Amino acid sequence: MSVKGTHVDLGLDVKERNGWTVLSVQGEVDVYTAPQFREQLIQLVDQGQRSILVDLEGVEFLDSTGLGVLVGGLKRVRSSDGDLALVCTQRRILKVLEITGLTKVFTIYDSVDAAISGDGQG
Amino acid sequence: MDRIVELEIPARPEFVGIARMAVGALAGIRPGLAFERIDDLRIVVSEACTSAIEGLDAGSVLRLRCFDGPKSLEVRIEAPGSSFESAFPIHEPEPDADNFRISLIRALVDDADLRSSDERTELCLVMHREAASDEDGEGGLPA
Repeated sequence: MSVKGTHVDLGLDVKERNGWTVLSVQGEVDVYTAPQFREQLIQLVDQGQRSILVDLEGVEFLDSTGLGVLVGGLKRVRSSDGDLALVCTQRRILKVLEITGLTKVFTIYDSVDAAISGDGQG
Repeated sequence: MDRIVELEIPARPEFVGIARMAVGALAGIRPGLAFERIDDLRIVVSEACTSAIEGLDAGSVLRLRCFDGPKSLEVRIEAPGSSFESAFPIHEPEPDADNFRISLIRALVDDADLRSSDERTELCLVMHREAASDEDGEGGLPA
């Protein structure tokens, strides 16, 4: 399954990988693009996806609006006994997650392959 | 000597990216701010503009004034009314742990101050530049 976003600043792509639903995000996540990101996450949970992996490697900018979307998605999927993990190695994004304490909330992997194999947990 | 750059944007989400792009570009003209710190500033400008927009009517205008000097870059973001202030409790000693916005602003800029009157609210964000190797503090742009 592949879903392409419509905003010029945000790309969203969904694929299935070994039991994970991988949502790859590209571009800038801010107050303008976050609604589309939020809608995509809600749609995945509503479709019954319970193991969601949000790949942030293509994200060029992320502020607190994007963090709110991630936390909202995590709460939503956990209320359905699922989980939402992240893929992120970018220093600039990890810094934002660290400042806000979210590195303790999310499981963060170094790559999609690492998440699938259960290795490389950050 | 400070160079002043001004920008006015409609208080709408699609213009926040323009504000942070402009401030980020300006921050890189003079030496003394590493790329990582410019990224920090872009985040804070985005947070500030978003906060202001959430409390304003869609027809409002945000005014950004950047005072670009050799020792610091100060960005003043001005919004009409006082809703900016209520959305931005920057003076509270212990922000709510869930308030990511305040946490980011406090962590990523050197100084932040809020000034308000009946007519407007202004958030001042300051990034100090590291000492430059050239004497006048100017960047490497051609004359």
